[in-house]
Amino acid sequence: MLDALDRELLKAVAGLEDIPKGAYNIRKNGKLLVRETSANINIETNAEATGIIVTIKPATRNESVHIPVILSQAGLYDVVQNTFIIGEDADITIIAGCGIHCGTSRSEGHAGIHEFRVGKKARVKYVEKHFATGPGKGKRALNPTTKIFLDEGAQAEMELTQIGGIDKATRLNEAKLDARSLLLITERVLTDGNQSAVSKNLITLSGTDSRADMISRSVIKGNSKQNFYATIEALAKCFGHIECDAIIMDNGTNETVPSLKAKHPDAELTHEASIGKIASDQLIKLMSMGLTYDEAVNRIIQGFLMK
Amino acid sequence: MLKLKKLSYSVTDTNANNETFRRNIISNFNFNFDGGRFYAITGPNGSGKTTLAKLIMGINPVTTGSIIFQDKEITSLSITERAKAGIAYSFQHPARFKGITFRELLSIAANTEDETKLLALIRRVGICSLSFLDKPVDSKLSGGEIKKIELATTIALNPKLAIYDEPDTGIDLWTIGPMVRLLKKEQKQHETTTLVISHNRAFLEAADIILLMNKGKLIYTGNLTGALPLLTDLSMCNYKECGEENVRCFR
Ligand SMILES: Nc1ncnc2c1ncn2[C@@H]1O[C@H](COP(=O)(O)OP(=O)(O)O)[C@@H](O)[C@H]1O
Ligand SMILES: [Mg+2]
Repeated sequence: MLDALDRELLKAVAGLEDIPKGAYNIRKNGKLLVRETSANINIETNAEATGIIVTIKPATRNESVHIPVILSQAGLYDVVQNTFIIGEDADITIIAGCGIHCGTSRSEGHAGIHEFRVGKKARVKYVEKHFATGPGKGKRALNPTTKIFLDEGAQAEMELTQIGGIDKATRLNEAKLDARSLLLITERVLTDGNQSAVSKNLITLSGTDSRADMISRSVIKGNSKQNFYATIEALAKCFGHIECDAIIMDNGTNETVPSLKAKHPDAELTHEASIGKIASDQLIKLMSMGLTYDEAVNRIIQGFLMK
Repeated sequence: MLKLKKLSYSVTDTNANNETFRRNIISNFNFNFDGGRFYAITGPNGSGKTTLAKLIMGINPVTTGSIIFQDKEITSLSITERAKAGIAYSFQHPARFKGITFRELLSIAANTEDETKLLALIRRVGICSLSFLDKPVDSKLSGGEIKKIELATTIALNPKLAIYDEPDTGIDLWTIGPMVRLLKKEQKQHETTTLVISHNRAFLEAADIILLMNKGKLIYTGNLTGALPLLTDLSMCNYKECGEENVRCFR
């Protein structure tokens, strides 16, 4: 059912060698390819037929859902609207991702709009990888939107990665946190050539003792461009932190704007931001252990982006 | 095994009137280090000890003079080439990374990812806690922790020439004795030519030969007894009580 190209894309975005175990939904060129549900995880097409609704039963433990999207059809711009409803007390991992193979001069793209409703005390780990490849000159565009609603005591850990080959990306992340909920977002973006990526983030801490940590790591190679905007708005006694680091190589450009808005006297909000070249002391340390300059650069970038 | 011949390093500096001039940081440094011996390099802050080490490692470019390592001229070799030739340098201020763990640095240095070999290595350098291996080498490490990691990566390289730049800073008092014994053991077992830059008496006592630097020049070589009067003259706080009459100590 999967051809060689499908396998390559699936491996890059979802770490999958083959059809996964457990619940999954694989979408290829705008259509459902295969789907499997489990006793605790239901996947169904939504009423508008624009995407899927994944429902996780309360107290589901140690299960995972794979929902990769692969594109290899010239000229297709695939828009999908997915909803994840995670029951109270559940603990679940969701692996999403989009692999684009562009073989022609016609552009291809994908916009995944993902909404998460995380129930009381539930935990979700969401891993999303974007990757594009192929010899075609067509532009590869990606515009992922992620909306997160955390109920009391819920926890979400989001890993959003764009590993290369995407010409133009606009990412939008929005979150609203109820009391004692916790959100950790790590976004990693690598751009090269004439690519551009914009990331816009808005986190609203509305419940008492909610916590959010947003980490952004950008590597900007060639003549590429990346802009990062993040706002944490506090409406209660809460804790929020933004950490954004951009490494510029070659002639890349970057604009980083962290913004903190406290609308409650007990809000604690902090941010750290840095833009710069690879630190020379890091390069020199690795070279003094016998790595060449290029090997040292690769190790530093790899560590910076992969962890 | 290492010969420094008329080694000088100067930089362009500006004076109060905004005129540029050449400032000598290392001037006409001549010394032959013998293989397998233990040397301590000491001298006041700013006397050029770190600069000398960086000239040997290739981090600073030599202005004039030459460096001969194991009978080969290495003056114009890159850092990587010198590392591959067997020179290692433990930084005074080690680099901190984002996303690189101690395990990874150690694997690069030891050229293996084999768990048993890495565990043997950290035991060799006297780190008892295994959880230390997966610590990120980042800004969260304490000054003492990062110095231990730096020292371990240097030993893991199995260098022919190991240069340790103030390895004892940030290290608790009761760890200094074991650290001195570790470097002596490495020197003996692996015949590592060892250069330790330090103000610490424990290292000066452990050394076969002491080199005393002042203002970029080598002003004394020999044993500790001969060095002591000079060290006192240079107002090295480590060697005398700082009374009120001796304000120079507080510089
Ligand atoms: N690249 C440089 N440019 C200008 N001054 C330098 C440079 N490197 C070192 N120096 C100066 O050279 C002197 C010696 O420094 P250093 O070798 O670090 O001394 P030590 O390690 O003995 O304390 C100091 O005054 C320092 O400020
Ligand atoms: Mg120094």
